[in-house]
Amino acid sequence: MKIASKNPLNIIIVGCGNVGTTLVAELSKEGNNVTVIDRDEEAVSTITGTYDVMGFHGNGASYGLLKEAGIDDTDLFIAVTESDEMNLLCCTVAGRIKECSTIARVRDPEYSRELNYLQERLGLTMIINPEFETASEMLKILSMPAALEVNTFFKGFAEIVKIKVEPKSLLDGITILDFSKKTKGAVLFAAIERDDTVSIARGDFRFREGDIVSFVAPRRGTKERLKLLGLPDDTIHDCLIVGGSESAFYLAKSLSASGIKVTIIEKDEKRCNELSSLLPDCIIINADGSDENILREEGLLSTDAFVPQTGMDEENIILTLHAKRFSEAKVVTKINRAFFSDVVKSLDLGSVIFPRIITSEAIVAYARARRASKDSNIESLYHLYGGRVEAIEFLIRNESRITNVPLKDLRLDNGVLIALIERDGDYIFPGGNDCLLVNDSVMIVTTNFGYGDILDILDEE
Amino acid sequence: MNRKMISYILGMVCRAEGLLLLLPCLASLYFREHEGYHYLLTAGIALFISLILARKKPDNTMIFLREGCIATALSWIVMSLIGCLPFVMTGEITNFVDALFETISGFTTTGGSILSDVEALSKTSLLWRSFTHWIGGMGVLVFVLAVVPLSGGSNINLMRAESPGPSVGKLVPKLSDTAKILYFIYFLMTIAEMIFLAIGHMPAFDNICISFGTAGTGGFAILNTGLATYTPYQQWVVTIFMILFGVNFNFYHFLLIRRFKKAFMMSEVRTYFIVIILSGLVIAINTYNTAEGVSATIRNSFFTVGSIITTTGYSTVDFNLWPSLSKVILVFLMFSGACAGSTGGGIKISRLRILTKSVFREVNKYYHPRSVKKIKEDGEVLDEETVRSVGVYMCTFAVIFAISLFIVSFEGRSFETNFTAVAACINNIGPGLSDVGPTGNFGSFSIPSKIVLMIDMLAGRLELYPLILLLNPSVYIDRAGEVRAHFRKRRRLHKQDR
Repeated sequence: MKIASKNPLNIIIVGCGNVGTTLVAELSKEGNNVTVIDRDEEAVSTITGTYDVMGFHGNGASYGLLKEAGIDDTDLFIAVTESDEMNLLCCTVAGRIKECSTIARVRDPEYSRELNYLQERLGLTMIINPEFETASEMLKILSMPAALEVNTFFKGFAEIVKIKVEPKSLLDGITILDFSKKTKGAVLFAAIERDDTVSIARGDFRFREGDIVSFVAPRRGTKERLKLLGLPDDTIHDCLIVGGSESAFYLAKSLSASGIKVTIIEKDEKRCNELSSLLPDCIIINADGSDENILREEGLLSTDAFVPQTGMDEENIILTLHAKRFSEAKVVTKINRAFFSDVVKSLDLGSVIFPRIITSEAIVAYARARRASKDSNIESLYHLYGGRVEAIEFLIRNESRITNVPLKDLRLDNGVLIALIERDGDYIFPGGNDCLLVNDSVMIVTTNFGYGDILDILDEE
Repeated sequence: MNRKMISYILGMVCRAEGLLLLLPCLASLYFREHEGYHYLLTAGIALFISLILARKKPDNTMIFLREGCIATALSWIVMSLIGCLPFVMTGEITNFVDALFETISGFTTTGGSILSDVEALSKTSLLWRSFTHWIGGMGVLVFVLAVVPLSGGSNINLMRAESPGPSVGKLVPKLSDTAKILYFIYFLMTIAEMIFLAIGHMPAFDNICISFGTAGTGGFAILNTGLATYTPYQQWVVTIFMILFGVNFNFYHFLLIRRFKKAFMMSEVRTYFIVIILSGLVIAINTYNTAEGVSATIRNSFFTVGSIITTTGYSTVDFNLWPSLSKVILVFLMFSGACAGSTGGGIKISRLRILTKSVFREVNKYYHPRSVKKIKEDGEVLDEETVRSVGVYMCTFAVIFAISLFIVSFEGRSFETNFTAVAACINNIGPGLSDVGPTGNFGSFSIPSKIVLMIDMLAGRLELYPLILLLNPSVYIDRAGEVRAHFRKRRRLHKQDR
């Protein structure tokens, strides 16, 4: 934990829901001074009893309470209550009292078109829309059905793709070194999960069925690499969504924009009417999506992709298990709450999306960048393998100990892999003779936590 | 039950005590006394135990309130057992139970002694006795939290179990920072007192011991005459600092972060000062006699009031000889105690405020049976859970008091002696009235009574429940279930292997 030792931020978080709790866990784990505010006294005392944070109960937009909670020393203010308006108000008030970074969660699609305007006019640092982010994560996976999870770097031009080694597949029983020789080093493996332990890829590692492997690729090259790995690279043509949540709306909108036939099953008639007027190209079914016969009638058995998006995690999981059993469709499951993660993991659900983690990743990346020195910048950060691996993209700003030195001469920490370098639009799989230069973007994959600066990856013992 | 974590915390406490025991070792070097070897040996024992208990940090560091309470109660017991060893080894206190009584009395900042002649002790032991007050005043777990990086938020449960008051909160978001701030204030005020006493030309050794005793609101004196022989200036300094250490430490934190309005609006602190001034004046008028003069009367009266309400227990006069009105006031002050969140003991002013308010609310209910009224403190509504727990605390307190009084009564002493002996122990004061008054001591009690009084002292310092929790059989019996679960798991793994 390198970052925990230097300049902790003073952070106030308003709202102790799913996202709020995840943020508290992540940000306090990194050594920041976190204060939470919520209207619900019970929620506050639960959080202060579990994490090393201070809590206040009351209205997060109230001047008096914010003063009490120490807004005068705050560096970062985050509002993630249930209500968009409340979040915007909290951030506006906080921003007026103290020049601090403010982050608000805004989910309503009506605002989503005006986010830039709101952000600029209200002086917000960042507006996050978890529903939209969730939908775009889903979209990435759906556009590459062979992958379990896809994360993008370098503004979408490179990807980390997670796949599962199937029995009797090309990878089963081969070492990374042999595979690289066979394919002339076209695929760079990043990390492997086997039997609940995750490790960074090394040449002598021998794949086995059931391993969860991730590899790095520039975007245009992903499909061809999937082929090299013996995986199908087909795309989907239709998609069945259960539940008409906000993220379902965002997903349906972008899917149908690229010509995919989308069917949404939603229980609530009013919501169906809304969706139908918002999404004229989609088929909206007013029915209970947890009814087997309805699912069959709407083509679960033949659909290419199935996305359960009801508000209930338990229902989503059951629907996924049902779909896995009866159809060949690519299934993406959304799980909101952090509950029984070990059991959920053991269920073999395939691709799972955790909206609260997507939200917290963006904010944690921002907080780390605030704390780091000015030699480099965190551009993006992802938690892979249930938070056990971090993939971070740094932009190198200045000359330092790490620049202009061949990589083979750098002493890196254990469990760090320099995965990809972007230089003037080219993507380089780094070898021992390559150097890092100023203005490079570097993607590293690591099992260590808390890197906030590119210099942190050096082993400085 | 996370036993590994409890043992780890115990180990950390032993390590802290082992290091703290080096202070008397240094003192013995300075005074060239042989007792130092025994202290060094004890420090070695403490560090050895800590090596066994805290060998490795457990993987699961999650502790809940019950583990926090049990770890706290056990820590205090283990700490006292180790702390009393030097007294036995040096032969200064021959009886083990007596040595343990003296040490528990020190750590719980009671200050009631079993010794009739404290001046016979070596300087090293006198210093250790007073130092136990200083350690126990703010609490050793708070110390551990300040210096040992125990990550995880669940450690607030340790602080909850050790810090006095109806509701324990943090001053700043991080627990370790809160603990550091508390110790910083504590340290600073102790140094301040030492400086003021040094200005009044108090001998350095007396100065240090008296300051430790004042800071922890303990009350072990190093002279048989208590503090009676010190100059009026020195007595006034001690009076003021006793009273200051009885103030809620939140008050000082507010001063430090320059929120003066908030600090001076703390109703508990205001009540505390009003009670001190009123009782001081009434006792001064009541005890006035021409032979002593006005200034001495006022000084003795305020010294005693400050000493009793903060549960320190220093004395400049034998208040046992005072008129009964004054003695009754003193008994009241014994129970009221100082502010929550201070180093003082007793029931705490804030609890009494909440109780009084709930009594008024109850009376109001007879007039307006359907009325809804929330109890407020400092302009904030208290949740019913706090109000309820204060009520239950009082009942538990009364029950423990009654049982202890009953057992101690077998001694066949006067009611006044028995009553104030139990009161002085459970409220961590030290001297009571009659046989256990300022000139008396606890040495002549029988061993069963001493054991009861030791339990009372610990119960009073830890605010009853952590200690009562230790009496709960499930703390121990639970173990059987864990063993069964362990074997079930092994059988299952075995089956899988085949």
